[in-house]
Amino acid sequence: MRKVAVIGAGMTKFVRRALETPKELAWEAAKMALESCELTMKDIDAVCFGTAPDAFDGVHMNGEYVSDGAGAWRKPFMRAFVGGGTGVFSSIQGWYHVASGMFDVVLVVAEEKMSSFYPHAQAAFLTIFDNFTERPLKPNLLWIFALEMNRYMTTYGLKKEDIARVAVQHKRNAADHPCAMLGEPNITVEDVLNSEVLAWPVQRLDVSPISDGAVAIVMAAEHVAKRLTDKPVWIEGVGWNLDTAYWTNRDLVYPRYVEYAARMAYEMAGIKEPRKEIHIAEPYDPFDYKVLHHLEGLQLADRGKAIELYLDGTAARDGNLPVCPSGGLLGVGNPIAAAGLMKIAELFWQLRGEAGARQVPGNPRRGVAQAWGDLMQIGTVVVMGR
Amino acid sequence: MSLLQPDPQAPSVWRDNLPVTSRYTYGLAGERFFRILKDEGKIIGSICAACGATYVPARAFCERCMAELTEWTDVGLVGELHTFTVLFVDMEGRPLDEPELVGFVRFGDGGILHKLDADPDDLQIGMKMEAVLKPKAERIGAITDILGFRPVT
Repeated sequence: MRKVAVIGAGMTKFVRRALETPKELAWEAAKMALESCELTMKDIDAVCFGTAPDAFDGVHMNGEYVSDGAGAWRKPFMRAFVGGGTGVFSSIQGWYHVASGMFDVVLVVAEEKMSSFYPHAQAAFLTIFDNFTERPLKPNLLWIFALEMNRYMTTYGLKKEDIARVAVQHKRNAADHPCAMLGEPNITVEDVLNSEVLAWPVQRLDVSPISDGAVAIVMAAEHVAKRLTDKPVWIEGVGWNLDTAYWTNRDLVYPRYVEYAARMAYEMAGIKEPRKEIHIAEPYDPFDYKVLHHLEGLQLADRGKAIELYLDGTAARDGNLPVCPSGGLLGVGNPIAAAGLMKIAELFWQLRGEAGARQVPGNPRRGVAQAWGDLMQIGTVVVMGR
Repeated sequence: MSLLQPDPQAPSVWRDNLPVTSRYTYGLAGERFFRILKDEGKIIGSICAACGATYVPARAFCERCMAELTEWTDVGLVGELHTFTVLFVDMEGRPLDEPELVGFVRFGDGGILHKLDADPDDLQIGMKMEAVLKPKAERIGAITDILGFRPVT
């Protein structure tokens, strides 16, 4: 397999309701990514595009419908479609397009416009449940997350006020992100604990917002990347893994599929001790407790102990293992597929030392990004280094 | 602020929808599972002896080894409360008049997600919960033939 680098990235602001159509959002991010590495569409051999459920945009075959915004006109084109895991997976797809030797330069775009769905994007998820055992009860995703969070908290005896520190830290980090919609430099644990209870133990500020936005990156083979930039950021390892299709048969306390995806990526990257060898983590954070789940699955914390990274400052931007220095989905926003690719873009900027006010100190050399999705059952993991 | 509060700054929009209607068959296992629930008032699982797995509700095949599952078992109406939540808003973010209880009750290696009939203060993860069924004459072969689960008294 050939070495593959990320050589450019672009990102729109994440907003509550964009005027731009999904195509236009994708185009804005794609254009920024191309300009960041001074390439044009003539240099792009193939396009990978990620967007989550068709229902958000209200168009069947939405990937193909939005494809012109991703620069797919008269190019080899493929859509990644693994729900919330899509953003990180689209970079894995871009990676194997290049690593295989098929293409030298690939544009990877992820876009989501959730605000079109009316009156609330949650309802789009009603149709992901089983027709016979679940849908007659009219379940929604909040139920599922509340049930899982309760089980996780109860198993390890975790406190709500501790878990709220995750939301606080991510929203504070996001205050330094120019694209963020929920950056709050002064938010406190009390604010989270006083927010509206949606489905106990999940409260309004435990959850990432419905958002619109797009992110794009340019990936290139080694010989091209070295010609185009002094600071390529290499894809060192990729992994993905799928758990049972049945929510009722999953371990609600420990995401084994994230562990398997992480082990696949670490092995490829030659990482034996992830807690020492990973300098920045961007785990998927649609809910605050979910970060803890994912850090444990990523082998960056012992089971039930991920919260300690927040309590002792390890996860802070200037801590030993900064977690979501971007501000994550909780702070920057959660346009689903775009939010995952944002994590790849964040590692790109951080590892190049271009993250501005968000920059993690100490010249970080290696980071891991992870997303979670499909029917809450896929783990997608990418290790990047310089 | 409610999620549904109109935003005067929002861009103007065109409204349309994506109409889809489907007829879902119950399937090889579902047909039998729901027929037994309706006619006999039983919850049935299927067993993969090779993998040591009991699937509830019953399935036609084992997802681990892909074997056809032919061994069916009555798992009873009492399971264990694996986790629960108290709902304060509906699917569209509107506050509910009365909070609702939802729980996941473990049977075998799977289980059933359903409404709970209980005082939330009495609920504890790990406690035994019993399915409350509609009277036989009212059952139609659906998960709603189970009205919900309540603590075993």
